[in-house]
Amino acid sequence: MKGQNDGAARLGRGLLRLGGYVATIAALLSLNFLLPRLMPGDPIDSLLAQSSANFTLGEESRAALEEYYGVDKPMKEQFVQYVRDLAHGDLGRSVATNATVTSEIARRLPWTLLLIGTSLTLSTLIGVAAGVHSGWRRGRAMDKGLLSGLLVAREFPSFLLGSLLLLLFAVKLDWLPLFGAETPFLTSAGLVERAVDIGRHLLLPAAVLTIGLTAGTFLVMRAGMVGELGSDHLLVGRAKGLRERRLKYGYAARNALLPVVSLTGLQLGFVLTGNVLIERIFAYPGLGQLIFESIPSRDYPAVQGTFLLLSISVVTVNALADVLSRRLDPRIAS
Amino acid sequence: MTSIEDTVALPAAAPTRLRAERPTMLVAGAALLVLVALAAVFAPLLASHDPTVATGLALERPSTTHWFGTDVPGRDLFAQLVYGARASLSVALLAGSLSMVGAILVGVLPGLVGGLTDSLSSRAVVFLLALPGLPLLVLVGTLAGDSRLAIILLIAFVGVAPNARILRSQTMSLRQRGFITAARGFGGGPLYVLRRHVVPGIGPLVVIGFVNWAGVAIGLEAGLSFLGLGDPTGVSWGLTLNRALSEQGIYFSDMWTWWVLPAGLGITAAVLGFTFLGVALEPRFNPRWLRSS
Repeated sequence: MKGQNDGAARLGRGLLRLGGYVATIAALLSLNFLLPRLMPGDPIDSLLAQSSANFTLGEESRAALEEYYGVDKPMKEQFVQYVRDLAHGDLGRSVATNATVTSEIARRLPWTLLLIGTSLTLSTLIGVAAGVHSGWRRGRAMDKGLLSGLLVAREFPSFLLGSLLLLLFAVKLDWLPLFGAETPFLTSAGLVERAVDIGRHLLLPAAVLTIGLTAGTFLVMRAGMVGELGSDHLLVGRAKGLRERRLKYGYAARNALLPVVSLTGLQLGFVLTGNVLIERIFAYPGLGQLIFESIPSRDYPAVQGTFLLLSISVVTVNALADVLSRRLDPRIAS
Repeated sequence: MTSIEDTVALPAAAPTRLRAERPTMLVAGAALLVLVALAAVFAPLLASHDPTVATGLALERPSTTHWFGTDVPGRDLFAQLVYGARASLSVALLAGSLSMVGAILVGVLPGLVGGLTDSLSSRAVVFLLALPGLPLLVLVGTLAGDSRLAIILLIAFVGVAPNARILRSQTMSLRQRGFITAARGFGGGPLYVLRRHVVPGIGPLVVIGFVNWAGVAIGLEAGLSFLGLGDPTGVSWGLTLNRALSEQGIYFSDMWTWWVLPAGLGITAAVLGFTFLGVALEPRFNPRWLRSS
């Protein structure tokens, strides 16, 4: 009987969390719909603004534009249309390029995924490794050095670090390319040559992002290790005569690794944030660059589409990380 | 972005001696902030030019009239540096204090009142925490146009949820400890309880939250104006960097040493100043540290 109750309770909690997730997504969708319509100065205003190329069109074209972008209909109808379009993967057309926002995003998404994926993987590996050593040998010179070094590195503004690295490695030393994600017109080159080219372009932006991320993983991993130090199972393991390596990795690190899972989910939000600035510095053709290019032309559909994609992925990854850490650690689940 | 680690790391973290005594951090943070504040207060005395209008030729090298040279239309870069301190500090103070006011309204007061208000506000905080900060800032910033105030309010708004969560948990723990109930039982009025028990319990956390969020606000404002959001005619270190990096071949001459570096170091000094101060104050103020030491 007790087991059955447990199962029902767990199902209930799971449904509650699922409900929370769905509510968040629904709120994001509504926010994305409402914000441009509630803000003073609608998109059409800025299309016809003095600074835009369409200024000469004059007021009579306002009606035509409103019809074209569908903002002349009642709110309710607009919202239904918006949801229907979203369901078809239609995010509207970019004001600046007139291409569909979906195609603009699809063109850039792989680069952002490559950049973010590389940095998150590297920072997690380095952060975990450094955290395990630091926590295990807490208070030693190496621990103190890593702790203060990584903390300062994290607070150092990424755009200054980015431009300094660019200056050093791309300009002064001329070892690495100055901008972009690959050398243009290299399509005739072999596969290996292209991979090397892409890797060389990736190195600096990924390094800057990794430096910003590593401190977080390191701190969590180190705190976890320190928390494990005096625990009973380590004592028992030591009494059994297990080797230091086994205790360190198989016993302490294994348990301390759990919070890193949910942290990596949280860090995705952070890296999507930092990514916008980094892509701007290195002219890396990802989503951040799309946002940056859309700002001067007040390209609402592009900014909104990117916002929707970024926010939904952050919320989703956090929810997945939550589920995963519950699976991995029964203590959180109960 | 200290909030990421705070959520996950602190409960498990045992304080080390290294973290408990940090006078160096305090001195370093205070020194950096005093430097920035001096530049901000005495900006009109330090700079002999208006940072927003061209007072020289475009792209002048540093000289006795223009200490750090000029940018493209000929605006003085040294003036932009010292007036930029004003912009950064005002964002830090305004956004920092506004977000703490919001955090108190959403986190502390409903926590004291309890009941429906409390459960509604904590739901709202959980939802707001799920929203990704910078993409939202960029979206609203784009929609808001050239408004500097909008940027400040936004940064403050983003800071409400994480700070409210910290303050709320402290409020809950204060309530549970019973001395508030005891004081009320002995006839203490709500104002007496507030002054005698709530303010001393919450106050230090509000100070730490303010210092931390002020640092975050400087970074966010610099990042947003670096992307070209906010007032394009204003003065801000991020804007100076934005213009510098838009300049073709900025890296291929010495220009970056007086155009990119000062503004970048200004941001670094301001952000690190607040961070160091926050790190130094934490063990002195945070009840979690006090309890465990």
